[in-house]
Amino acid sequence: MAVTESAPSAVELRGITKRFPGVVANKDIELRVARGEVHAIVGENGAGKSTLMKTLYGMHRPDEGQILLDGREVVFKSPGDAIAAGVGMVHQHFMLADNLTVLENVVLGAEKAHGIGAAARRRITEISESYALGLEPDDLVEDLGVGDRQRVEIAKVLYRGATTLILDEPTAVLVPQEVDELFGNLAELKREGLTVIFISHKLDEVRKVADSITVIRRGTTVGTADPRTTTAKQLAEMMVGAELPTPETRTSTVRDTPVLELRGVTVAGQGARPAVDDVTLTVREGEVVGIAGVEGNGQAELVDAIMGLRPLAAGTVVLGTDDITAWTTRTRRERGIGFIPEDRHRQGMLLDAPLWENRVLGHQTEAPNARGLFIDRKAARADTERIMREYDVRAPGPNTLAVALSGGNQQKLIVGREMSAKPRLLIAAHPTRGVDVGAQSVIWELLKDARAEGMGIVLISADLDELIGLSDTLQVMLRGAVVATLDPGAVTPEQLGGYMTGAVAGTAAGAA
Amino acid sequence: MTVLRRTGQALLAPLLAVVIALVISGAVMAAIGVDPLRALSVMTDFGETPSQQVTAIVVVLNRAVPLFLAGLAVAVAFRMGLFNIGVEGQYRMATVVAAGVGASVSLPGPLHVLLIIVVAMGMAAIWAGIVGVLKVTRGVSEVISSIMLNFIALGLASFLLTGPLRGSEPGASIVTTKEIPESGWFPSLNGVFGALGLANPPRQLYGFLLVAVVVGVVVAVLLKRTRFGFDLRATGLSASAASASGVDAKRMVITTMLISGAIAGLIGLPDLLGADHNYGTQFTSGLGFLGIAIALLGRNNPIGIAVAAVLFAFLDRASVPLQIANIPSSVVTIIQGTIVLAVVIANEVARRIARRQAESGTAVAPPAAGDGSSGEPDAGPPSGPALSNASGATGRTDPMGSAS
Repeated sequence: MAVTESAPSAVELRGITKRFPGVVANKDIELRVARGEVHAIVGENGAGKSTLMKTLYGMHRPDEGQILLDGREVVFKSPGDAIAAGVGMVHQHFMLADNLTVLENVVLGAEKAHGIGAAARRRITEISESYALGLEPDDLVEDLGVGDRQRVEIAKVLYRGATTLILDEPTAVLVPQEVDELFGNLAELKREGLTVIFISHKLDEVRKVADSITVIRRGTTVGTADPRTTTAKQLAEMMVGAELPTPETRTSTVRDTPVLELRGVTVAGQGARPAVDDVTLTVREGEVVGIAGVEGNGQAELVDAIMGLRPLAAGTVVLGTDDITAWTTRTRRERGIGFIPEDRHRQGMLLDAPLWENRVLGHQTEAPNARGLFIDRKAARADTERIMREYDVRAPGPNTLAVALSGGNQQKLIVGREMSAKPRLLIAAHPTRGVDVGAQSVIWELLKDARAEGMGIVLISADLDELIGLSDTLQVMLRGAVVATLDPGAVTPEQLGGYMTGAVAGTAAGAA
Repeated sequence: MTVLRRTGQALLAPLLAVVIALVISGAVMAAIGVDPLRALSVMTDFGETPSQQVTAIVVVLNRAVPLFLAGLAVAVAFRMGLFNIGVEGQYRMATVVAAGVGASVSLPGPLHVLLIIVVAMGMAAIWAGIVGVLKVTRGVSEVISSIMLNFIALGLASFLLTGPLRGSEPGASIVTTKEIPESGWFPSLNGVFGALGLANPPRQLYGFLLVAVVVGVVVAVLLKRTRFGFDLRATGLSASAASASGVDAKRMVITTMLISGAIAGLIGLPDLLGADHNYGTQFTSGLGFLGIAIALLGRNNPIGIAVAAVLFAFLDRASVPLQIANIPSSVVTIIQGTIVLAVVIANEVARRIARRQAESGTAVAPPAAGDGSSGEPDAGPPSGPALSNASGATGRTDPMGSAS
């Protein structure tokens, strides 16, 4: 690592302050990233990491402070300027056209660099080889897995001549094996002298991959840390100024009465293969059933089937003693199914509506939101204030638009809203995705409390620690079918990853 | 304070747009050799005697009533994300059938009027309902089917008028349905002028104005205060979130089209019941299309729509005095067109600014980065965003792709 004291930093931020109406998102940020290192930026969501990275990527301009690249001050008016100066960004949500090839995706928008023909193809192959990305220019993106798609995104940035790469939560969508591959790629980039800024809140990963760490808390840098001498616990304390929560729940609260029974549930898929293939499982009172699986293996469709959002091709869904297969989504919700959707922006919130209307959403027919055929606006507003207080939703008031809240606060509102209806069964799909450590521990505690009170919970998550820590039973889904039932007390994340990718088959010992 | 600020923001954009539109229209007038200031003075001249002035106001209000109803009909569908472009056909069908039914029965006053209103609303609701059913069962875009049903409606209305419902003498230059008997007329509001101590104008102020006000209030309450209205607006804001919340999307589409159509059925009635008493070849046309412009101008809000309807009615009235003053009346059309364009642009700009402010107000972590609305750089090569959008994968523009 070529970290010398005399050489100017590849990226240096001095006293960056960024204000938005009513809030200071970044205040006096100091950041030095040496050339050729992997520099991690950790902090809670809402701490200002994203604002900072948008500043560095030219998506908005800071109110105060300087950006220096290799010791020279630069001013970015747009991402175009940042790219021209060699700063590229790999977004967490991929921005790829599925029906185009790798080549077309990489070249799209950068046709000026090497044209769209043989020269471009050569350049992509060159990039792929020198950084061991393993990309085939003619593969269709829709055929690629998540890890490959991410490598296409990285190739896009490199193709545009970036020497500094910003990776926004790159591991959020990957399984452990894919994370290891990504870290291999980052090592290659580093060896070639590129600089990587790596945003994450998975502290173990950060310690594994980063050469140095900057911690952000409440919009400002609270310090730097050396990953070799700092423990994850110390880092977490720097991040939140409190102890790191764990998802562990070991005392079983499982009762005998089943809340949800799925019998041979089958959902038609795009092609000949069903999206959900003959799934049978039972969730009892006080039980958390974790559904593990690489994304896209039928979990989303299974959730839709339980919620009544997707018709069943076969099978029955039983809630308590009622066969609810023919019930509408609204009836299911009224009769005690709570729903924390996987994609809160798509299914959980009305971003352009105020918080109180979001509190009503999904509970339009229930007290205190409804009075006969009318919406009780006053009661809904008052109850929104209660949820904001009890579930620590940080926002100016119930009339604030949902879009103005950070992901963690949006999620806390959703969790509070669903819990307020006291459901018998809670479908929690990725309940802590994109949520900071503080909100994560709050949500974990709420799930644990609900479980202790006898709520049945179906937990879908990509965070294997969360799955193993919270679940009483683990079901692994692969290509729509449940392929293994595991005891979370006796399985490691690596083993679980093996089942999820199909590398290990069969039901392990200790099946519940 | 927030209420004040929000109202201010809501009003600022359309006001600014109207001013900009007037400036542009003025420039166009100057370019075609019309003195914009003289045109403006002709348009705002309501006459000298009190009687003339009151008459002018009555003309404006009488035109504003159907325009308001047309705007409401479009707006109800807009609020749930449906574009009911077929209001034109819906009200024409409704009016001809209601005229025919109204002329063929004799009932005591209020019942007769009520029957005509119910027939009109029912006919238009059925016509709009076809669009809803097609969308729900066959996935036909409501834009396409409602445009096509417009043509069918116009043809069918002509057939009914010249065939089964024809009332005028054979060979008459203007074909009309039979006259509705006086029991089916809607009483005028001219008594009001006496009560206010104003000159009683020769024109009748449509009593249907009251019906329009009631409909406006009902729609406002329905949208803002009821569970149904919440479901409707939620669907318009995010169809996926609405169905996850338990809204039955299919039923919603049909119900909304029925309501939108029922309101559309009222559009022709102010003229039919207040002045013409029959439907004919000279019956006012184009109100349904103007309704789209008015809904846009009023931002789908009943009060905004009322203001927009009065503005359009005012412009509409001006075309006769303009012609008398030897100024082409197409000046009015130019102003209407530029206002609509300017308002649409201003609303979109205001929406983006508001959203960007809200969004960047906090460090929304992952989605904001990819949302495009906050990070959208200057438009790059047109193929970039267009292609990545066409793929439909995320529906987002790609900052990387368009920023080179």
